[in-house]
Amino acid sequence: MSALTFEAAVASTLAAESQRRGKRLARTLIWAAAAIAVLWFSGAQIGMNPLALVKGVPFMADFFSRMFPPDLAHLSLLGDATLETVQIAVWGTLIAILLSIPFALLGAKNTTPHPIVFHATRMFLNALRAINELVFALIFVSAVGLGPFAGVLAIALHATGMLAKFCAEEIEGVDRGPIEAMQATGAGRLQVILFGIVPQVIPAFISYSIYRFDVSIRAATILGLVGAGGLGFSLIKTMKLFKYHETATCILVIFVIVLVSDWVCARIRARII
Amino acid sequence: MNTPDTQRKPMISIRGLSKTYGGKGGGGVLALNNISIDVAAGEFLVILGPSGAGKSTLLRCINRLVDPSEGQVFHDGTEITAHRGDLRAIRRQFGMVFQQFNLVKRLSVLTNVLTGRLGYRSVWRSLAYSFPEADKRIAIECLARVNMDHKAFQRADTLSGGEQQRVAIARALAQQPMVILADEPVASLDPKIARQVLGYLREAAQELGITVLCNLHQVDYAREFSERVVGMSRGAVVFEGPSSALTDDILHRIYYREPGEVEKDEA
Repeated sequence: MSALTFEAAVASTLAAESQRRGKRLARTLIWAAAAIAVLWFSGAQIGMNPLALVKGVPFMADFFSRMFPPDLAHLSLLGDATLETVQIAVWGTLIAILLSIPFALLGAKNTTPHPIVFHATRMFLNALRAINELVFALIFVSAVGLGPFAGVLAIALHATGMLAKFCAEEIEGVDRGPIEAMQATGAGRLQVILFGIVPQVIPAFISYSIYRFDVSIRAATILGLVGAGGLGFSLIKTMKLFKYHETATCILVIFVIVLVSDWVCARIRARII
Repeated sequence: MNTPDTQRKPMISIRGLSKTYGGKGGGGVLALNNISIDVAAGEFLVILGPSGAGKSTLLRCINRLVDPSEGQVFHDGTEITAHRGDLRAIRRQFGMVFQQFNLVKRLSVLTNVLTGRLGYRSVWRSLAYSFPEADKRIAIECLARVNMDHKAFQRADTLSGGEQQRVAIARALAQQPMVILADEPVASLDPKIARQVLGYLREAAQELGITVLCNLHQVDYAREFSERVVGMSRGAVVFEGPSSALTDDILHRIYYREPGEVEKDEA
């Protein structure tokens, strides 16, 4: 390439770059303006008002002062409820992990037996995630009665919706190469999944499962609000009886459980991933 | 290509370089064993050897992606191995080209080449993903050198392997380096494309006066593209000389040396 044509080529690419950047800037500004307008409008509609928050500070301070100090004598009564909270989370998450494996395989484009199955599975998983644990808990309380078992089922279903969706997306993102290699050996569909796909998604699946256990612990602490067992029941009970010092103790215990589970989860994750 | 002028002081001097991976008190793997090489300014030196000979480790000891266990590397007369100062300033003088291209696939071709300018720019500017106009001119010129300017706005993952490697060469050139370290740049390309890519690399380096250290495992390309070859085997230099002197006997020594075999000229 002669020096002249080289310069011309560089100049024209530079000009094209500046033109593209101009267009992109204009597009960014338009979208940013639209986003700000929408956010401003919705903020006004739902009464976002920083002033109200400032004015409310004394009331919050009053609430907290009534909770302080926490009634540590109440601690001895919370042992069973604490254990129950953890048990609900463990069982709920475990059932979700087991259920989410088949649903993930049915709900991933590259492993589903049929597009209809794929869409039906995704729809079902969307429904599971759309329904909050508390709502599920209300349904199961009326089905299996008050108590922790309703909580376990509530967490299991909602968590299945989340885990299966994440895992399905992970399956869809796997490297095609090993799958092709497994198919080339004459392996059947299930064998290809077992040897070409499962090893690729295992680390992510474990990671999601651990995260989900963390979420389940937090969900389990409030399921008691609707009578599905755990610490939430003590929380709502002491509040309704205006025993705020005891409420403070409940919150403290919940805080400690979340801290401990976070620590344990981090340790497990570091071990196996 | 001109024979490197041996009167000039070397661009790179490697003295007694060794690298042991793992196990400080013995039991580690000796990847490099007492390597000493001089590379003249503007030279296109090929380092030839089988996989596992230590070629990649050698290149990475030069730009300090790997810290050597013993020995020194001098760049233009300055010792850079023990240098604890500005690693960025050292690294930006060495452009690197990799076997697997290592482009950021989701970024455009132009942005990939612009990353060659990162060593010169502050973090604050980079936070906005923006580059000065002068850098854009440099990047586009480098792309034009490897004939890839017409694809400047495509995503890197839409390119073929040969095209990706040409973009990677442009990225190294955009650093305006004194030296390019090419680690098996054509190992995953077919012969025709490989020759084309090596041609672009040699031509650009020649025009810009850049010294090139190029790892290869194919004898044909070494004969074709370099005047001087360093042969490596099991972490040691077993040959150093013109590519025309690569006899079958020497190739056997480079590629098939047995673990216990003594090298008479290794002293």
